[in-house]
Amino acid sequence: MKILKKNQLDTLWERLARNAELYLPTQKGDQSGFFSYKTLKPEKDTLMLDALNVYLSPKNIVLPQTEMMYSFTHQGQEINLEEVYEDPTPRIIFGLRSCDVKSIDRLDTVFFTRGFVDEYYRSRRENTLLILNACYHPGPNCFCEAMGLSPRESESADIILHDAGEEGYIWVANTEKGRELTGNIEDILEEKEISYPQPRPFTREVDYTGVAEKLKDMFSHPIWHPLSDPCINCGICTYVCPNCYCFDIQVKTRGEEGYRYRCWDSCMYGEYTMMAGGHNPRETGMERFRNRFLHKLEFFTERYGEPLCTGCGRCIAVCPTGINIIEIMEKAKGVEPSA
Amino acid sequence: MKDMTDQVKEIATKLLESGQVDVFMAWEKGDAPHQSKPFFARNVADVEKIIFDEYCIHNLSTYLTRFRDGKEKIAIVVKGCDSRGVVRMLEDHQMKRDRLHIIGINCPGMKDPLEAMKQHSGFERETGEKGLAIKCLQCMQPNPVIYDESLGEIQEPHFKGERFTEVKALEAMSSEERYQFFSEVLSTCIRCYACRQVCVACNCRTCIFDEAKPQWVGRETSVGDNFMYHIVRAFHMAGRCIECGECERVCPVNIPLMLINRKLIKDVDHYFGPYDAGMAYVEGGKPPLSLYKIDDPDDFI
Repeated sequence: MKILKKNQLDTLWERLARNAELYLPTQKGDQSGFFSYKTLKPEKDTLMLDALNVYLSPKNIVLPQTEMMYSFTHQGQEINLEEVYEDPTPRIIFGLRSCDVKSIDRLDTVFFTRGFVDEYYRSRRENTLLILNACYHPGPNCFCEAMGLSPRESESADIILHDAGEEGYIWVANTEKGRELTGNIEDILEEKEISYPQPRPFTREVDYTGVAEKLKDMFSHPIWHPLSDPCINCGICTYVCPNCYCFDIQVKTRGEEGYRYRCWDSCMYGEYTMMAGGHNPRETGMERFRNRFLHKLEFFTERYGEPLCTGCGRCIAVCPTGINIIEIMEKAKGVEPSA
Repeated sequence: MKDMTDQVKEIATKLLESGQVDVFMAWEKGDAPHQSKPFFARNVADVEKIIFDEYCIHNLSTYLTRFRDGKEKIAIVVKGCDSRGVVRMLEDHQMKRDRLHIIGINCPGMKDPLEAMKQHSGFERETGEKGLAIKCLQCMQPNPVIYDESLGEIQEPHFKGERFTEVKALEAMSSEERYQFFSEVLSTCIRCYACRQVCVACNCRTCIFDEAKPQWVGRETSVGDNFMYHIVRAFHMAGRCIECGECERVCPVNIPLMLINRKLIKDVDHYFGPYDAGMAYVEGGKPPLSLYKIDDPDDFI
């Protein structure tokens, strides 16, 4: 088997960053997320490869929070398209977890299937290579297995790393792209037989079985009121979520020039469903809260066969008022549907 | 604080049973042991869930906006800082005093459940038990300023020393340094609006940031749009921030929002004061920038 010694990481990153934008899980000042290798300052920033995960998911790399679409000029009624900003820069995300790889799969499903391909997303995604850091120590809020994925395997990760401690990382090329990259850096890898680490069990038992079906009849259930009472309808959960993909398209103009861009939007915001004419079909916080969980756990599963949650536990850790998606699944299962 | 929980439950049972109130706003235990979360009891059966422990940090007065158009009688449990939030709601005419039954708790200081959740999440490099929340270490008003009944011994403020040290350091910077400072701290904003949502002073029905026609503030997460968001937010806090510190506590990217708020507190106090927002409820009372006086200073404009 191929082994990547930990003292070779710097060499590897330096090599990878020659031909691609490389992102690493990093604590950068007060932020923890995937940041470009080029922007890292060793004296100030801390690598988070051995932490469970980082707060800001790698979603931002394939679906930036703010993304330029095109610029234009206009004279009277005539509009000229100046530039379209599809971005095919080669990118490598190093050290992401299985939950985040799976969430990128779900984004692929949304942006590539059902008759429409989003070209902005495609140009980024097709040129992004994923290096999975297999997870052997699930955290207290982790439940990826319950959402139908394995913390140590993935079909779409191009390379899978298994952290064997002092021995280094076991390096497994998992796709054609992964094998190609492995070929380019093979001189850094060693050939040695070592044993895989022992995975620790999940601390939390979660069972998604039957939740989507159960929720079908729970749209008008009174339980949504007490469940949503603490929610302040901020957008933290939707923005740290690696799966939430909603965006808004906006325009800025100055004189005869302008540009269109898209930016993340959140179903927690009242403005999100505000319609021309002033009607808002989700006027109250409860309705927005309910929609968020129904979308994740029911609607998306109905449409695509898998839930829009990969069990990373970020929303649980960062919610200012203690909303917990596991608790919502459990409570939904526990009540009478017709109550 | 087991004892405090029992006392709060006792009051809740009395008020809900007799029909004196329709809703009793307090806390319940969250999913994790170090987590408490806002809880609204609506009947006597709900009361058993109520708790009051060292993680009841949330300012419940913000939730009063949910009930502003109704007629329900509401009981609310408040700590010192939260009680100033109740005054904010009353001064802003978002709630009528006679709809409220206020249970004031003289607060010994709270721990931050959000910080504890993060510490236990596996996402943090350095973990360890944290003491009192930062906002509680900066607290100047642990005892409620408005209440119908109060619980616990009168507490001394945790904050000692010079209140505006950090603000003065900010003022001492050159404008370039300040621009640099704010560019750094505001560039990380993800525009989740948690600071707005958790704020009791942010009780507008339609927020300027949600307006689309015209759109006053762009939605890009760029330094320009982020500056615009934070400047407008800060202006609206002038003379109205009750220093509960919730905005800074909930910010997922640790923007020093209370530093900005304290600068405004200092200026309002200096130009229009002495004034501290929400320290006492006087019927018809208004914050300084909601009033016009002929001798208001204008030399700084």
